[in-house]
Amino acid sequence: MESWDGILQGFSVALTPTNLLYVFLGVLIGTVIGVLPGLGPTATIALLLPITYTVEPVTAVILLAGIYYGSMYGGTITSVLLRLPGEAASVVTTFDGYQMARQGRAGPALGIAAVGSYIGGTVSVIGMILLAPPLAQLAVSFGPPEYVALTVLGILLVTYLGTGSVLKSMCMAALGLLLATIGLDPITGTARFTFGEVALFNGLDFVAVAMGLFGVGEILHSLERTDKVQAVTSKIKGIWPTKKDFRDSSGAIGRGSLLGFAIGVLPGGGGVVSSLASYAMEKRRAKDPSRFGKGAIEGVAGPETANNASSTSAFIPLLTLGIPPNVVLALIFGALLVNDITPGPQLIEQEPEIFWGVIASMVIGNLMLLALNIPLVGFFVQMLRVRAGILAAFALLVTMAGVFSVNNNVFDMWVVLGFGVIGWLMKKTGFEPGPLVLAFVLGSILERAFRQSMLLSGGSFDIFVTRPISGGMFAFMALIIIVSAITSRRRKAVFGRVDPADVDETDETAPDADRQVAAEGSPGAESTTGSAPAPDGPSGSTSTTTPGER
Amino acid sequence: MHGSTSASGAPAEGTADRGHRWGQLHRVAPLLLLVLGVVAVIGSRRLGLGELTAPGPGLWPFIVSLLLTGTAVALLVLDPAEDYEPWTRGTLRIIAGLVSLGVFILLFQAFGFVVSAFLMLVLWLRVFGGESWRWTLGLAAGGTAVMYLLFVELLGVPFPDGLVDAVIGG
Repeated sequence: MESWDGILQGFSVALTPTNLLYVFLGVLIGTVIGVLPGLGPTATIALLLPITYTVEPVTAVILLAGIYYGSMYGGTITSVLLRLPGEAASVVTTFDGYQMARQGRAGPALGIAAVGSYIGGTVSVIGMILLAPPLAQLAVSFGPPEYVALTVLGILLVTYLGTGSVLKSMCMAALGLLLATIGLDPITGTARFTFGEVALFNGLDFVAVAMGLFGVGEILHSLERTDKVQAVTSKIKGIWPTKKDFRDSSGAIGRGSLLGFAIGVLPGGGGVVSSLASYAMEKRRAKDPSRFGKGAIEGVAGPETANNASSTSAFIPLLTLGIPPNVVLALIFGALLVNDITPGPQLIEQEPEIFWGVIASMVIGNLMLLALNIPLVGFFVQMLRVRAGILAAFALLVTMAGVFSVNNNVFDMWVVLGFGVIGWLMKKTGFEPGPLVLAFVLGSILERAFRQSMLLSGGSFDIFVTRPISGGMFAFMALIIIVSAITSRRRKAVFGRVDPADVDETDETAPDADRQVAAEGSPGAESTTGSAPAPDGPSGSTSTTTPGER
Repeated sequence: MHGSTSASGAPAEGTADRGHRWGQLHRVAPLLLLVLGVVAVIGSRRLGLGELTAPGPGLWPFIVSLLLTGTAVALLVLDPAEDYEPWTRGTLRIIAGLVSLGVFILLFQAFGFVVSAFLMLVLWLRVFGGESWRWTLGLAAGGTAVMYLLFVELLGVPFPDGLVDAVIGG
């Protein structure tokens, strides 16, 4: 009954004109950046963080959430039509979606993806309504040791479920934790690692760090790549899937919804992992697995459903435990923090309008996406004509002006630039920025909980093991480390499989699926030169592609 | 890893010297992290570790920087080289881009938003984007105007006073 009241309250929040406008803006921006291969949801959300200072917290989260799940829809479009995943979670869709497009079935592929995404999103919202309140109630009893366990678990799982080297991810997590200690010590007030710089007394600004690492870093990285995109000339017809299409994919959509929901709740889960898992599951269940990679509609429906379901359920740990399960949610967490709202078990009680308002906005947003996507696919495809150079120039200017507007301080601009360099170098050297940012966000929570635990226990580490919940979580972490050490070779094999065996070797514009997946949350940064030739460009038009290089 | 390499960078980036380049890169990143870790360890000891029962300001940074140092040492030995991307001619463009951003910030402080934004858009559209002069100037002028309206008029962001403000204000 309580949930029912909550939902009603949520809709009363989400249906205000401002919030309706922002959820619409969110899903629209999400779809657009999902289509544009240069910018992913992480970069976009990072770039738009300054906006969150100018609107109500609930409105900010509604906007950012809309961008996140909207991008899951948008990424499908280029995956199917051009075999260019607009964001990392759509890589799997390229396998069968692009084949369907070549067989003249681009319409149904996009249609079933939109319908599946809608169903997945809705199932996830329902699951969230049922699961979140009891979970929050459980978490209210958490003490400092449980928070230590929970945050460490969150960081650990992100390092493990990321696609790069676990050791490198851990190193980045450590760096993130270290960066979080810059500023005044919360308890004693001692200045730590500030080098006398007054601007650092409050610590590095989260917004500047995130904008630098994800926004500027990604734009710079994309400057280096000079891939071309061929124009989409064929008309897309028959978007609404046939009865047979629905029959063929209904199982995949059902399984994808549940799988995506479950994976999204887990720390470290999110789009990429869930869509991969769904694809693997559908292929294994199929009577004739050889159809996969040749245009099987289940291979589009399942993963697309799963990635949208997971991007919705990923809000559960954030809103009930205060633990962002992946990088995008870490950014949203940061956006709430800068508004003086700490997501956690008390959120439902203390800020019900945020909790329920966001949930209700997801119901509305998913409907909007379905309504937008089916008729407007052709319009979104035209977005690909926007040249990457133009996009990069404006994105950078917005970043710089935006970060200045946060504190009206030029120092933050230098922070953005500095972290932009670091972000780009990290991409070059195979370090993932995700664990760094997540650890940076969680760092102060972890430190406080750790110090409180030490005070509680009188300096003994036993406290983490003897309390049932934190003990259980640490046991679980130990299990993860042991299991993954044993199966580390198999892990590689799983991700190796992402590289489609049936890549058409003659297609020179094929994106590097491997690399795409490697960039979880910060999808590939191919430059789209568009269909219009860049007459005197230093790049693009004259490039000879050498597949197999690098 | 397969993908496309820009023709302009092709001769210098042959397969022959790639291994060599990687060999160097391979050590630099973990080494930098190691140095950072060690510096942080020393720095946090200086802050005062306190006791576990009464943690000082340096205790947590100390633990964290030990973790950083440890993982960096492990990376020096175990780092898999496959995920390093080779340097290409495009790298120069990026360094140029970075310098231009730095110059932008300096100009922004000295001359305000309008001048610096216009110059930056011109540079990025023309040099990095490869747009024609017509597109470049049009987009840069229009873009600067829209951004100015958005940030200054609509959001009321107090950008540093610049040349244009002086003209308008005067």
